[in-house]
Amino acid sequence: MGSYRQQPGSGKGDQRKDGKRIAGKQVFPPPGSGGSDPEMRPRDLDFIPETVGGREPKPAGDHIHDRDRTGTAVGKPMALVDSNAKVTGQAWYGDDVRLQGEAIGKILRSPHHYARIKSIDTTRVEALPGVLAVATGKDAPNRFGVLPVTKDEHAMAVDKVRHVGDLVACVAAVDEATAIQALSLFDIEWELLEPVFDPKKGLEDHDEPIHWRGKYHLARTNVQKRVFQEFGDRSLVKTPYAASHGSWTMAGVHHGFTEPHAVVAHWDPNGRLQLYTPQQVPHYTHRALSTVLDVPMHQINVVRTFVGGGFGGKSDPFPHEMCAAILARKAGVPIRITFDREEVYWINRGRHPSHIDVKMTADNEGRISGFDIDALIDGGGFASFGHVTSYYNGVLATAPYELGSFHYTGARVWTNKPASGAMRGHGAVNTRCAVEVGLDEMAEQMAVDPIDLRLANLLPPHSRTISGFRITSNGMREALTRVREGSDWDNKFRQLPLGKGIGIGCGFFISGSGLPIHWDPKNFPHATVHIQVDMDGGVTVHTGAADIGQGSTTAIAQVVAEVLALPVEMIHVRSHESDTSPVDLGSYSSRVTFMNANAAIRAAIGIRDQLLKAAWEMLGYHPNVLVLNDRRIYYKHDPAVGVSYLQALHKAQEDTGALIARGAYRSPPMGGVHKGAAAGLAPAYSFSAYVAEVDVDVETGKVSCTNVWAAHDCGKALNPLAVRGQIIGSCHMGLGQVLSEKMVYGRTGHLQNANLLDYKIPSVHEMPHVEPIIVESSDPEGPFGAKEAGEGPLLPILPAVVNAVYDATGIRMRDLPLTPDVVYKGIEKHLKKVGLDDPLDLETPTLTHGPLQQQLVERAKEHEVRDRLRQRSEDTSAYVNGVLFGFDPNRPLNEQVEGWREADEPLPEQLAELGFAGRAWLKKEQRHMEDDA
Amino acid sequence: MLMPPFELHHPETVEDACALAATLMEEGHSFDWVAGGTDVLPNYKWRINPKPHVISLASIPDAFVLSSSEIGCMVSLDTLVASEAAHPLLRQAAAKVASSLIRKSATVGGNLCLDTRCFWYNQSEDWRRSIDWCHKADCGTGADCRVIPNQNTLCVATYQGDLAPNFMVLNASVLIVGPNGERTVDVASFYQLDGMKKNILEEGEFLLKVMLPKDASKREGCYQKLRVRETWDFPEAGIAASWIPGQTDTLQIASTALESIPKVHSEQISQHLKENNGAIDVKTMAVSIQKSVKPVNNTALPPRYRRAMVKTLTKRALMGIMKEN
Repeated sequence: MGSYRQQPGSGKGDQRKDGKRIAGKQVFPPPGSGGSDPEMRPRDLDFIPETVGGREPKPAGDHIHDRDRTGTAVGKPMALVDSNAKVTGQAWYGDDVRLQGEAIGKILRSPHHYARIKSIDTTRVEALPGVLAVATGKDAPNRFGVLPVTKDEHAMAVDKVRHVGDLVACVAAVDEATAIQALSLFDIEWELLEPVFDPKKGLEDHDEPIHWRGKYHLARTNVQKRVFQEFGDRSLVKTPYAASHGSWTMAGVHHGFTEPHAVVAHWDPNGRLQLYTPQQVPHYTHRALSTVLDVPMHQINVVRTFVGGGFGGKSDPFPHEMCAAILARKAGVPIRITFDREEVYWINRGRHPSHIDVKMTADNEGRISGFDIDALIDGGGFASFGHVTSYYNGVLATAPYELGSFHYTGARVWTNKPASGAMRGHGAVNTRCAVEVGLDEMAEQMAVDPIDLRLANLLPPHSRTISGFRITSNGMREALTRVREGSDWDNKFRQLPLGKGIGIGCGFFISGSGLPIHWDPKNFPHATVHIQVDMDGGVTVHTGAADIGQGSTTAIAQVVAEVLALPVEMIHVRSHESDTSPVDLGSYSSRVTFMNANAAIRAAIGIRDQLLKAAWEMLGYHPNVLVLNDRRIYYKHDPAVGVSYLQALHKAQEDTGALIARGAYRSPPMGGVHKGAAAGLAPAYSFSAYVAEVDVDVETGKVSCTNVWAAHDCGKALNPLAVRGQIIGSCHMGLGQVLSEKMVYGRTGHLQNANLLDYKIPSVHEMPHVEPIIVESSDPEGPFGAKEAGEGPLLPILPAVVNAVYDATGIRMRDLPLTPDVVYKGIEKHLKKVGLDDPLDLETPTLTHGPLQQQLVERAKEHEVRDRLRQRSEDTSAYVNGVLFGFDPNRPLNEQVEGWREADEPLPEQLAELGFAGRAWLKKEQRHMEDDA
Repeated sequence: MLMPPFELHHPETVEDACALAATLMEEGHSFDWVAGGTDVLPNYKWRINPKPHVISLASIPDAFVLSSSEIGCMVSLDTLVASEAAHPLLRQAAAKVASSLIRKSATVGGNLCLDTRCFWYNQSEDWRRSIDWCHKADCGTGADCRVIPNQNTLCVATYQGDLAPNFMVLNASVLIVGPNGERTVDVASFYQLDGMKKNILEEGEFLLKVMLPKDASKREGCYQKLRVRETWDFPEAGIAASWIPGQTDTLQIASTALESIPKVHSEQISQHLKENNGAIDVKTMAVSIQKSVKPVNNTALPPRYRRAMVKTLTKRALMGIMKEN
């Protein structure tokens, strides 16, 4: 196809024949041209789906958004739209905000693990020259917290401090030195209380529980949340063919984002609060500020600065944000608070330190008859996201495998440590590691290949998990197959010499929480996007989605560009201010691409329809036969008959002015009705499979990961470059957790390594070669088929490495991280057990396929055919977890199986056999204790 | 983090530096010497014993000398790594210190005079207040040692420098200068068993250069460093070994990062050679070195493990110099 000029009224007459500029005429590209390229590019058929006449393969069948594809931006690797600002140092992070007349805020932190504040005297602080304002807990008595059900935080301690580093008071001064000096002038009278550090102790009654939940408090324990879930036929686990029981200890880890927390608060001349903060979830900060400050939300403007990494660690509303606002109100000048790295660790919200016990069984056909998980997680001093984490530790293990039964007990306890919270792979990471290692162990007992065991037990696309999650697209099988091929698994597994190993791990994660935190399904959609197009042709997109470096702004720009067939440079995403952005629920639970991009597509379609209508009026052809391509709309059968984008735009807005459209996303009704059914519900799920290769120095216990083949099913890679980046970054973060990172609480309960030297994030030297493999299962509800790629890719690296260490040494290790001392201890113990002296004499495991192997391979082959038909919707029959065990998916399972149970509370006879976390069920809530009295 | 205020002095000769030190001492001002600053200044930011005066050695040309026999205190580790004049063992060891970026600033003198480290000590002021201080930085409270409570005599903070054991096995000595003149001591005698005193430098003295004996160039050496990451991390244990190839009586082994001072293990070696008729048995030699060190729990890895690793590191260092696999 030839090309057409795209701007009206600017013919070649603008230039002289010799190419020089005509006097008085500028050579700037005319408006609406999309940069300096005045010619329309031909349609890029490689990026238009074959289902609508292009050449892009669609193995999973057609997609609802295929007709909105223009071949412009989706599926093409591109640099993030904000990368220029970042690489030139012009991106403004939290601490880059400078306001005229600003003063510095500093926070006084608790030196005690657990203490009651009897009195605070601020006289000496106030008398110090240069101090502008002082605030204590009394200045902000209202509670807040990220979850409405567990608001247990104050801006500063009101009655008690709950960990070393907890906020006690704050001060604003003319400079940092004065503020630091002022901190030493507070006179505080403390009453020391008995702290709790061990989460197991948290299950016991305590004279002074860390928080008090009134009638819902569980006896006098420090249990913040307990969960019981049981599904399926428990009789299946009684006589297992193979079984694995692993007790895990997993240290707490921190996100390790580059940018420390920083906030600037300013009350403008009209008395409105302007708060600048690097937040993942500005909307919740907005709500919490309103609650704490007693100011209506419309009088607060939350400005999200660039975010220097979040990974879940910037998704709570934070007390220092409240402090800055309180100090600024008192001092009458803008206040800036920037954290030291130590303060970052003290506010924490990292992954929970966990004790996880996983028992799993398989039957004589190699089917997984039961998962029995007990997770005791250490919440630290506050609830944060813990209510949800308590569920996720169990329920996110219910896929991708078909299970005969599932039993989960979980408890989250408060301890006098910095609060744990949400971190990349929220709640799913630790249990996933335990489960995948258990599968490896069972495969060994059954003498089968662990990849074949997995392939023969996968839930198919369009099915339901045992806990009632709706699985739509599912690329698990392809991911497993591709890492097997990529890593040359069949020639390496159980065949490498001592000290070299290869291991497999899978992952499963939500792509957007189906029931977000502040969400009223009757009143609010999950995500809303506004688009405005003025006469200049530039497209301004307003969204509240917080780009935290993951590239959400780029994804939004791409999908809008795709629908409108405009260069990405013409799409301007405005997402920083709550004043101008429609409410978005934030960057957590891997929801942004799925939900926000869906909303953006809808809004873009709204603009497109207005443009097509104008073109219809101009050309006389119905929109059904009009084609959008690079800044031009033309008649499908004669491209010469068309108008430029700008001509259509001007026509469309002649009576109305700038074009406006909005789009929203709301997830469909899903899931079961049992208590906790909403936890883990998502409109789609991502799947991943990794193979890791390791070198283990058996004499020192040092583990190095050398190669990773990482396949992740993200539905459709809107930006393959960003997906690859997420996969590699996830590998790095997961490797940190499995090999070196831990928050070390010493003998006295103090956090011993609150700095980046002693908190050991892997360096580039520790980074293996990662081969990212993108699997595209084309999710039917995802934007152009996309699902998440930000969190799920972290999950499989942990078990893949742990399983590889076993392959290299023949020793199962279940204390994370696998620092050299932990591995060496494991090796020493094993040597003693087998009566050897020299670790170089260790024998590595071997595999001779047993009789089940062939059966599993055949079953996997059958399932491959089944899955393809279901994925392409050529088979639309119902499929629920249980079909593998011979049940009819169209009848309730409890009618078919005696003993099939769905429960959210233990039976009295189960109480005696519950695991650590399960013991929380031995306690009664206060309201029931009152009944007894 | 805010750097506490201090006055920075730049003497241009050794004499000026000594005179300045003498003046400050007379006036009752406390001060620190600073070379590259990669140890002192981070500690200052954490308010660990900051002083009102800091004397920089960066303008003294004599401190930059670098040859096969002399290495000035201001020679950066990066320069040492790249230097063809320096002994290969020193280059090997220097290349394992911290990260490439830090090695640009960090110096030989700074590494030898590195402050001892302890996770109860290398923390911010707020943090140390929360443990009610410790023996090494007690802020006038007379606080107890947090590593080994109920012993208030010695500080057991760990010396975690990489270069010292390597200089030791090359039989190097250091030139110390100060207001009262200069003196030369073996590197092996430079350190003093107390995490607070660390070395024999008296107030006003500084280490000007390290000197290597003539036969050092004949020596073959190997340095084995234990750490979690291949960059940034201080050694959790380090073993240096050297010998003049074939001459077992020239064998030297030194360790670092296991106690408050780096140590030469001459006694264990002579005992071993005596028992083995002058021959070296790698395995038993390694065990005897292991038995002679007693790490405590104040670094990233547990002491039991670090001690166990001494055997492996010694074995590997010995194999390294003997070119055995």
